[in-house]
Parts: sequence; C-alpha cells; structure tokens
Amino acid sequence: MASASGEQTSAEYIQHHLTNLVCGKTPDGWTCDHNAVDQMGFWAFHVDSLGWSIFLGLVFVGLFRLGVPKLSTEAPSGIQNFIEMCIEFVNDNVQSIFTSAKNNLIGPMALTVLVWVFLMNLMDLVPVDYLPTLAGQVAEATGMVENSKDAYFKVVPTTDPNITLGMALAVFVLIIFYSIKIKGLKGFLAELTLHPFGKWMMPVNLVLEGVNLIAKPISLGLRLFGNLYAGEMIFILIALMLTFSSISIGLLGVGLHLIWALFHILILALQAFIFMVLTIVYLAMAHETEDH
Amino acid sequence: MNINATLLGQTLAFVIFVAICWKYVWPPIIAIMEEREKRIADGLEAAKKADDSLEEAQLAFDQEMNKAKAEAAEILEKANSRASQIVNDATEKAEVEAEKILSSASKTIENDVNKAKEELRQKMSELIIDTSEKILGDEIGPEKHQELLKKAAAEL
Repeated sequence: MASASGEQTSAEYIQHHLTNLVCGKTPDGWTCDHNAVDQMGFWAFHVDSLGWSIFLGLVFVGLFRLGVPKLSTEAPSGIQNFIEMCIEFVNDNVQSIFTSAKNNLIGPMALTVLVWVFLMNLMDLVPVDYLPTLAGQVAEATGMVENSKDAYFKVVPTTDPNITLGMALAVFVLIIFYSIKIKGLKGFLAELTLHPFGKWMMPVNLVLEGVNLIAKPISLGLRLFGNLYAGEMIFILIALMLTFSSISIGLLGVGLHLIWALFHILILALQAFIFMVLTIVYLAMAHETEDH
Repeated sequence: MNINATLLGQTLAFVIFVAICWKYVWPPIIAIMEEREKRIADGLEAAKKADDSLEEAQLAFDQEMNKAKAEAAEILEKANSRASQIVNDATEKAEVEAEKILSSASKTIENDVNKAKEELRQKMSELIIDTSEKILGDEIGPEKHQELLKKAAAEL
C-alpha cells in the first residue's frame, strides 16, 4: 500500500488499479509500453487478464486431471470427492435443463465454465494491492519500467469485459453452430424470421429475434463483468481508505474489507453458477426443435 | 476497458480448455462414477436376490417342515392303530386260547369223571358181586358171575 500511495491522488490510485497491462501493435511494431496504448488498435492484448485467465484455466485442468490416475470405484476420498461432487453438481444441472436433446459436449463445457469462472472470480478476494504492487516491484527490479507506478497490473480476469465477452462469444458461436446443426440452416432462419408474427411481418420478426439472439452473449458477458467490476471497485474504494493517514479510517477500512470479502464470496460463486446455467440454457434452447 | 484482441485470445483459451476438459477430464471421471453406480446397483440387486432366495428357502423349509410334521403325525397314528390292533388281536387270540384250554380242560375233567365213574361202577359191581357171592356162596359160577357183572354195569 505504502508504495502505491505517496504523491498519487485518489483518482490516480483508482485509475491505476483499473488499467491493464497491455501489449499491442502500434505503427512502430509490437510493444508493451503503456505510453503507446493510445496508438494500439484492435490488436492489443491485456496480458495480465489473459495470463491470469490461462493460468487459472491450467489450475482447473491440473486440479481435475491430477486426481484421474488415482480414481477408484471404491468409496472416493480426498480430491476425488471434490471432483466428483463438482461433476455431479454440473451433471445434475445439465440433465435438468437438457431434457430431450443429448450432447456430450455440454457437460464438460459447463464444468469448465463453472470452475474456471469461479477461480477467476476468486482472484477478487486477493487484496487489491498485493499482486499489482508485487508486479510493479518486479518490473522495476528487472528494469522494464523506471518507476514501479508505471507498471500496470490488473489481476481479476472477469473484471475485464474482453475476458467475459470472449467466453460469451464462444458460447454464441456454439449457439449458432448447434442451432444450424440441429434445425438446419432453413430451420434456424425460419426461427429468426417467422416468429412471433408470422411470415408477413418478416422484417419485424427478424429485428425482434435478432435482438433476442444478440442479447444472449452480450448479457451473458456483461452480467459477469458488471458484477465483478462493481465488486472490484468496492474493494479498491475500501483499499483507498487505508491510504489515508487516519488510523480510525484505516481500521474501518479493514473491517469493511472483511465484511465485503465475506459477502463477495457469495457473489463470486453465484456469478460463476449463473454463467454456467445460462450457458447450458442457451445451448438447450439451440437444441430445441419444436415450434413455439 | 476497450475491446481488443484480448477477447479473441480468451475465446481461443476457452475453446482449448473446454476441449481439454471434454477429451481428458470429463470422460474418465464420469466413467468411474458410472461404474461405481453400476456396482452399487448390482450389489443392491444381488442383496435383493439373496433376500428373495432366503425367503424362498424359508418357504421351502416351512413347507418341508409341515410335510414332515404331517408325515410324523400320520406315522404316529398308524403306529397307534397298529399297536391297538395288535393288542386287540392278542386279546382275541388269548381269549380263544383260554376258551380252548378251558374247554379241553373241562373235557378232560369230564373224561376223567366218566372214567372214574366207569371204574367206580366196575368196582362197585365187583364189590356187589363179591359181596353177593359171599352171601350166596358158591352158587354163582364164573359164567353167572360174568353175566351178573355185565347186568349190573348196564344198570348203573
């Protein structure tokens, strides 16, 4: 905290926490220089979000794959219990939503979404200054930046709309893929144009159904992003209290941080669960063949 | 928080992780769980079967037991009736025998009595004749004597 305060104003402190470490393509070539961010177009990567996202994905795969060689059909114990509990929970949800159609991709995808998103959300519970400060010190020590405050590092991947919308995009592609696969291109187009008003109102139908279709990935991605961004924001504001010189405000901040963290555990799990359920529901809708 | 290629990177990561989970994580765990489920179901079914066969055995045992009991009762009854028959037979036989013995005894006695009577008659005749001879002297010869004897015997 001490290193992050100093001459920084509150606004700068917050801004610092909300800025990603970006590597991207500028007219002069690829760079990770923060001063060049404005010149980067679409081809820029939030290295911190993406790095943590991939790292946590590996944690997920590792955790679940690690137990596999030791799996037994006897009474499970230890990690196998945990793994089976997760899988059973996901499977129950999938089967309760996917009543008619069968698709063996949905289960693994739902499991990945649940655990991965939960792990990404869980990074929110790491006190907001720890990892950015560490990253700043490392960057300064290795000479990547002159001042540790110039190093930006945003830890929680799900507070980055790119991450949440990226996953929503994959779900969206799958929705369209399965819609066409199950109903045929004709069936899919019919679904988009012939409801709810019949064939003489095709343009209106297309607009309505189009919005309906597009709203799925957008709401899926933005819901997760919004919840986590707001939570992160409150953590940052609470952490800001600790940068004041008053001890009483500092203590209040510690108390508030504890309370918010406890409450936030609920939100983290809930948002991961909602993301999973909506993914399953959207794909189940893509598999539905009967007319409305 | 502008949208940039991070989005595509995350989409790619998503696809890769889902694929890994789909191919390498989900199937072995689900297989193990299904196998265990099957084993438990089999075990339960076997337990139910054992229960059924126990019940069946109990039933068969009861049946066998009842049959044996009935048989034993029958045998007992037969034995009883046979015993009583034997006793009856024996009694009857004994009665017949006793009667026989009785009748033969009485016959013998009758015979003896008759014999004794005959002898007595003979003796008495002789005695009478002797006495008569003594009274009458030698008037009666041996032929007369014999004749008188016969007469007396017939009269007695």
